[in-house]
Amino acid sequence: MANRRTSETALTNASLAAGPKWTYTHRGYALAQSFRQLRQRKFASFITLMVFGISLALPAIILFSAGSLAKLGNHNIEQESLTVYLSMQVNDLDGASLAQQLLLREGIDRTSYVSRDEALAMFKEQSDIGDALAALGNNPLPGAIIVYPDVDMLGAVGLKQLANSLAMSPSIDRVQFDFRWVKRLQAVLSLARLVGWVLAGFLTLSALLVIGNTIRLELLRKQTELDVSRLLGAKRSFLVRPLVYTGALYGFLGGLVACVIALITISWIKTPADQLSGLYQSAFQLEMPTASQCFTVLLIATCLGVLGSIVSLARPSNHLLPFGTKPV
Amino acid sequence: MIRFENVSLEYTPGRFALHDVSFSQPAGAFTFLTGHSGAGKSSLLKLIARLEKPTAGFISIDTIDYDTLKPRHEPLLRQQMGIVFQDNQLLNDRSVFDNVALPLIIGGYRYNDIKKRVAAALERVGLASKAFELPIRLSGGEQQRVGIARAVVAKPKVLLADEPTGNLDAQISAEIMQLLMQFSASGVTVLVATHDQGLLETFDFPQLTLHGGKLVDIHNSSQATAHTQNTWQEQPSSQPAARESRIKRRQTSSRHGE
Ligand SMILES: Nc1ncnc2c1ncn2[C@@H]1O[C@H](COP(=O)(O)OP(=O)(O)OP(=O)(O)O)[C@@H](O)[C@H]1O
Ligand SMILES: [Mg+2]
Repeated sequence: MANRRTSETALTNASLAAGPKWTYTHRGYALAQSFRQLRQRKFASFITLMVFGISLALPAIILFSAGSLAKLGNHNIEQESLTVYLSMQVNDLDGASLAQQLLLREGIDRTSYVSRDEALAMFKEQSDIGDALAALGNNPLPGAIIVYPDVDMLGAVGLKQLANSLAMSPSIDRVQFDFRWVKRLQAVLSLARLVGWVLAGFLTLSALLVIGNTIRLELLRKQTELDVSRLLGAKRSFLVRPLVYTGALYGFLGGLVACVIALITISWIKTPADQLSGLYQSAFQLEMPTASQCFTVLLIATCLGVLGSIVSLARPSNHLLPFGTKPV
Repeated sequence: MIRFENVSLEYTPGRFALHDVSFSQPAGAFTFLTGHSGAGKSSLLKLIARLEKPTAGFISIDTIDYDTLKPRHEPLLRQQMGIVFQDNQLLNDRSVFDNVALPLIIGGYRYNDIKKRVAAALERVGLASKAFELPIRLSGGEQQRVGIARAVVAKPKVLLADEPTGNLDAQISAEIMQLLMQFSASGVTVLVATHDQGLLETFDFPQLTLHGGKLVDIHNSSQATAHTQNTWQEQPSSQPAARESRIKRRQTSSRHGE
């Protein structure tokens, strides 16, 4: 009787103080082990997370601003135009109708006709020698059509083609455009993009290595647990799962760190960047990342964590091999 | 029933840790494994637990033939075995309860089962009140009992104990032995490796004696010869419930028949 009572007490004790139910399944156990690892080794985990997060911060910033930057290439020159100078013989009426005709051509978004008088007025306004011009008595300026190309024609090659085809027209005297500026901008942008991606690639790789190394160390630290579990009949999947979960956890938390760093950095440089682009009359604006962009970074970081741990566990270890195999 | 037929084990080629060992231990029997240090006791237990593979010979437990056992089934085999070590190999980062629960988690038991079984096993080794202590807070004897609880919690058919009383005093050793005998009485095949002469004298069970990797004796008596061993082995018990008294009787009778 007394025996039964103690037995019952033990049972209630067990139900009161045993860990939560989910930690007693294969997956739950693995997850609980990963959390325990983070908790027990707060400082080391913190350092790992910071290294991982900082490595991933630049790739995250590039990812976040990729949209804005991609637009920058075209956006900045969206307001750019070719100036088509008509020959002096073309009168206002013909000029205006030519502007209309050009609209029908491919690659042209809109056109606007600047009559000789308007050209003179603009010149006077912008230039000190306007009055001198007026003194000449007759207007030396030709009529012009401002041609705004389609956005997809804004590459250097497209513009060149458009300019050449416009120049063929008999009533057109000359087509003016600063191709060097476009080329230079595009070269700078594509170089920046390349450097950005290469850097991002290296940093992502280093994040992967950080996780791999951490998991390898963790494997050594856990050798008693691994060996005992193997003795008790654990399969490889049971041994490896906590380590993969740890990798995933590091990845996810490191991804959070990267997102936070990226958000802070972007909000810091947003104002000066927008001011700068304002100086160039550019419509470019550094946009704050959306929730789905943050989610993408977290997903990628988690995958990196899993990948890093799988890669580091692929190297054979005495603590994971079946018993009786030759030690490595 | 544990059967060894002409089993040899060489860790390094040419150096026999076990040499041509043959015996069979009936299911439910309690047997000591003795011999000097380095005689091969641990090696023999490792072979049974499939922690090592023999370089020659044939091992089987009940109907499980080790030669045809697939590597992916080895963990399952180990799940049906209880193993107790001298250095009890407890995990110090978790409670006694969680240490004992580990084989059940590995075995995929349900939560309610786990709670009941762990509580019952701890009750049985007299540690119910220490369930949520950390193992390092326990005495050596208590730790060893936790190790035993962990070994038996999944109700194995075979219990292997390597020096379970290793560095414990005589009284605690006797308590541990009582525990192991209880499991044997409930039908578990128990094989205990020990060189503790006191234990061997106090508890009168059959002994397998190893010397330099060879099985030299299968009985309490040191006069037994290799010939006796063969006679005994040729007529293994086919009855799973055979108890150690019966083995003894048989051994005695076969010796008389010599
Ligand atoms: N992993 C190993 N690699 C190489 N040799 C080993 C290994 N394990 C044991 N041996 C050798 O096998 C022989 C038997 O060792 P074993 O551990 O089985 O002895 P034992 O009877 O358990 O001794 P003890 O009472 O000291 O524990 C010894 O000579 C030992 O050196
Ligand atoms: Mg030994």
